[in-house]
Amino acid sequence: MKDIKGTQPAGFGRRTILFIGSLLLLYPFIRFINHRVPRKPKIVEVNGTLKVNGYLAKDDFILFAGAESIWAVSRTCTHLGCRLNYKEKESLLECPCHQSRFSTKGQLLRGPAKRKLPLYPVEQKGIPPTYFVTIQ
Amino acid sequence: MIIGDKIKEWLLLTRWGDWSLICLYASLVSGIIVGIHYDPAEPFYSTSAIDILVPYGGYFRSLHFYSSQFFFLFAVLHYIVVFNAAEIYRAKSYTFLILTLPVALVLLFTGYVLRSDSTGFSAGMIAEHILEAIPLIGPTLNNLLFSISDHGLYRVYLHHVFSFDILFLLLAWDHLRRYKVKISNHLLFVGGVLLFSLFVAAPIDPEELGVFYISGPWFFLGLQEMLRYLPPFLAGVVFPVSFIIALVFLRKQHPWYKALLVGVLFSLGGYALLSWLAFTTHG
Repeated sequence: MKDIKGTQPAGFGRRTILFIGSLLLLYPFIRFINHRVPRKPKIVEVNGTLKVNGYLAKDDFILFAGAESIWAVSRTCTHLGCRLNYKEKESLLECPCHQSRFSTKGQLLRGPAKRKLPLYPVEQKGIPPTYFVTIQ
Repeated sequence: MIIGDKIKEWLLLTRWGDWSLICLYASLVSGIIVGIHYDPAEPFYSTSAIDILVPYGGYFRSLHFYSSQFFFLFAVLHYIVVFNAAEIYRAKSYTFLILTLPVALVLLFTGYVLRSDSTGFSAGMIAEHILEAIPLIGPTLNNLLFSISDHGLYRVYLHHVFSFDILFLLLAWDHLRRYKVKISNHLLFVGGVLLFSLFVAAPIDPEELGVFYISGPWFFLGLQEMLRYLPPFLAGVVFPVSFIIALVFLRKQHPWYKALLVGVLFSLGGYALLSWLAFTTHG
């Protein structure tokens, strides 16, 4: 809308500056919210008796003891992140949200998940042993 | 069909909008009370402590939970009952009012997530993954709204207590300032809500190793079932956003009114069926 003399009203320039200014502020805002402070590796100390062929369940992983090795498998379903539970009789992990299934070594057995579970490094120290699981 | 007529009359004459607003007030006040003992760093522990240890904590949490659910349910009923009368609203006002419904639903949803029991934890993780599935802006949206994996429940708490409430008020402001509610005219209803919360405990689902099926919040069941078969972006973003857009344009003056109405009713029916499947088949 033009004024009587045919020039752009003063408000138009101010609105443009405001709009461009808002866009410019958006950039540091997006940088700010997208920044991920690198996570410290989480080391979980597991005190408990772990028998051969037994398991110990924590929030983020389940520790399994085979005949010759001990390993920790993630409890976070690779479909949508729900916490897996262990079916002892069938010796597999199942997601309570959509029933994806994984072996105790994290291999995908049934969808809708499409990726296998990560394994976490386990260190055993002391007698009786304490287990240290590093989650990164 | 005398009973049917009576029910229809009751549905049409009940002031659902007033009741919804009263429940919103109750939810806001009880939310502040519950928030005094809630700790987002220890969400499940503090929620359980409110229920078990804090005097009257269980009551206030129940009041907060049920007043919030009723707020949303009565808002939906209000929308249905005044649908014809809302034709006088301009497009912008109408759109703002329609948008209060998904905002209210997100408030309910974040409330579930904040419990961080097995239902809430899973719901939060699923929401995070749905957001991340959005092309280009998904990770940014997740960092802004949820980011539970990296930051726990702080952002969810912030948005539940402040951001979404402010957004709701901004969207509903023009409507709320025109239609005021006198609580003294609804004392029986207020008493009913207070008593209901006294006798019905708010749910909480502790983490149990042997649980192999979790049913999400009641309004999430259909989506939970859709996610079994469809990619998260389609089930969790495209369908809900399409539904909201359809509601925005669902006005009698719109040339596509009949088609939109059929689409909306069909979607609701389909969602109800999926919810029923989620609740019965896999449990």
